[in-house]
Amino acid sequence: MAGLPKLAVWKFSSCDGCQLSLLHCEDELLPLLGRIEIAYFPEATRTELDGPYDVSLVEGSVTTPEEAERIEAVRDRSEVLVAIGACATTGGIQALRNSADVDELARVVYAHPEYLDTLETSSPISAHVEVDHEIQGCPISRGQLLDTLLAILTGRRPNLPQSSVCMECKMLGTPCLMVTSGIGCLGPVTQAGCGALCPSYDRGCFGCYGPKELPNTAALAGRWSELGIPADAVARAFRTFTGNAPAFREESDRHG
Amino acid sequence: MTNEITTRRIVIDPVTRIEGHSKITITLDEAGEVANARFHVTQFRGFERMVHGRPVHEMPSLMARICGICPVSHLIAASKAVDAIMAVTPPPAALRLRRLMNLAQIVQSHALSFFHLSSPDLLFGFDADPAKRHLYGLLAEHPQFARDGIALRRFGQHVIELLGGKRIHPAWIVPGGVASPLTAEVRDEIAGGLPEAIESVVRALDWYKASLAGWAEEEAVWGTTPTAFLGLVTPDGEVEHYDGVLRAIGPDGTVIHDEIAPDDVERCVGEAVEPWSYLKSSYLTALGHPEGIYRVGPLARLNIADRMGTPRADEELAELRERLGRYPSSSFHYHYTRLVETLSCLERMAHLLQHPEVTDVRVRATAGINRAEGVGVAEAPRGTLMHHYVVDDGGLVQHANLIIATGQNNLAMNAGVKQVAQRYVRADRLTEGMLNRVEAVIRCYDPCLSCSTHAVGEMPFHVQLRGPAGEVLDELVR
Ligand code: SF4
Ligand code: SF4
Repeated sequence: MAGLPKLAVWKFSSCDGCQLSLLHCEDELLPLLGRIEIAYFPEATRTELDGPYDVSLVEGSVTTPEEAERIEAVRDRSEVLVAIGACATTGGIQALRNSADVDELARVVYAHPEYLDTLETSSPISAHVEVDHEIQGCPISRGQLLDTLLAILTGRRPNLPQSSVCMECKMLGTPCLMVTSGIGCLGPVTQAGCGALCPSYDRGCFGCYGPKELPNTAALAGRWSELGIPADAVARAFRTFTGNAPAFREESDRHG
Repeated sequence: MTNEITTRRIVIDPVTRIEGHSKITITLDEAGEVANARFHVTQFRGFERMVHGRPVHEMPSLMARICGICPVSHLIAASKAVDAIMAVTPPPAALRLRRLMNLAQIVQSHALSFFHLSSPDLLFGFDADPAKRHLYGLLAEHPQFARDGIALRRFGQHVIELLGGKRIHPAWIVPGGVASPLTAEVRDEIAGGLPEAIESVVRALDWYKASLAGWAEEEAVWGTTPTAFLGLVTPDGEVEHYDGVLRAIGPDGTVIHDEIAPDDVERCVGEAVEPWSYLKSSYLTALGHPEGIYRVGPLARLNIADRMGTPRADEELAELRERLGRYPSSSFHYHYTRLVETLSCLERMAHLLQHPEVTDVRVRATAGINRAEGVGVAEAPRGTLMHHYVVDDGGLVQHANLIIATGQNNLAMNAGVKQVAQRYVRADRLTEGMLNRVEAVIRCYDPCLSCSTHAVGEMPFHVQLRGPAGEVLDELVR
């Protein structure tokens, strides 16, 4: 890398929360600034992509034909491409529409749907181009983002967790909600990273960090049924923020 | 739609992001004068339909994902709508805590808007080198000012994180109240940070007032189209962000609506859809479209209210009115009003924390579905926000309608862009200064953008000047 490594941030369909997590690294970011040059491109058009970039962080999912084209251009200009957040890694909450009729959806939200240029589905970045690293979460955790950036800069592997939200509950000493109160929780199949936030407020995890590696969703869904949770609720639970992730989508489809 | 074959268009693409993607098109007439300017929004996520069939209790968490900058506003409006469907009133402590988080969010969002996004233009000038016109440029040349901005925003974010466990999309504001009570330690930690936060806003206000005379031109051309103003006030006329009643006034202060129950907002506000944007344009139904053009957000909230309701901010408001008149109209004054409001929010936070009830452990009412319909209204940093849900007997959402701040400011923003374009755009050339000003007028409204961009780098711009046959006459990229 000649000169300072260049970092670019790209936005696709998203809420901007994940990009903001980068801004929230203020203290940690200031020292990084000497080691990295940051070029943000919130919504760049083809003519101004420039580059190449050493690292591209991509937020958001692909929902329009223009985005499908743009992600290819971003890939061409990026040495390392990191998809950040539930939107970029799974299609995000807007993938809820994947099971709806897009025309009907557009009519409900928008009185002139004929002007909408949208794709049938909301898809993750990896459905379009090769992705080097994925950071899950809605939004991503600052710690995981910084670790990944440092890993790329120093040429090591990022330390992304393999374990589940369950493990974080155990480490915090939060009593298991399913065992003690019979509350449905996605913690056993959800990737760690949030610090088991919801269970610490007595709420079952709803999976915003997405599936962990090799999640045993069938066993968990079975347990939910034993707790008396109806099939349509099980189906919906797996179909929320990361419902388009294959493991969750398939489990959801099995229940309705 | 404009006939694109016989007119010439300048496309600024992208200008900025408002809940996502957007661009500006400036249309020239045959004489080369600016005929029209439009601010388009081109992102489509479709939340209102996506939530059909979902349990209404999920709405706060789902709707929070509309925006990573003001998720707390969506959490609050959604939770209030679900409270109404459950027919419950959250316990008093929960109401205070929801207010506290809402104020913290307004503080962090206003700090981001003023310090990170707009102040580089104000401090360095609109024609300054874009390479230094950002937060890190400020850090080098105005370190105290930049640090104040960073600290203030961090304070607001920290309060949200202390209360809700994370800064973005905290799952803490829930139907019926909040998820956990406030401990005495956290209360003291927040209270301990307030004096410093207040001092940093006061420093910024002092600087702003001392500099005001230098922005006479901006004040004169940036969105001075007369419009009505809408927002919440307390029944006795103070600025209100969480509850209260709706008031709408005309440009000269004539009352159009007063003491409207928030549930009735859809009666007062109509939504027009323009073919060129996915963003709906709101108007006051009493005046019709497009005469019912109105603004929301800090400028509107201060204009409709009689007073702020906190001592230091009330002194500032009196001074503001002495300087600008009772009903300032230029959208440039969003900046000034945003600072005064920030001060008031911090004072209110201090006041809330002093109440003995704030640490009460009863913070959540529970109930099932007791009504088929619910509306939740609150003031988001950028203006009045409404969520309206209709559910079936099982509590599954059948219908959802949202009114967002940026949609309500849409007509005024377009008028502002047009005014700036008419003043600065000349048919034969495009200048950096023109782009900066078009960009800056939009920033006054702080449309719901993922502002992180501007904090570190400048806004990317692509402007094309097109001839009658659509050929590119001039092009500017940065
Ligand atoms: S993953 Fe969540 S926080 Fe990140 S951009 Fe998508 S909706 Fe926003
Ligand atoms: S939903 Fe699950 S992964 Fe997301 S914050 Fe809650 S506990 Fe963590």
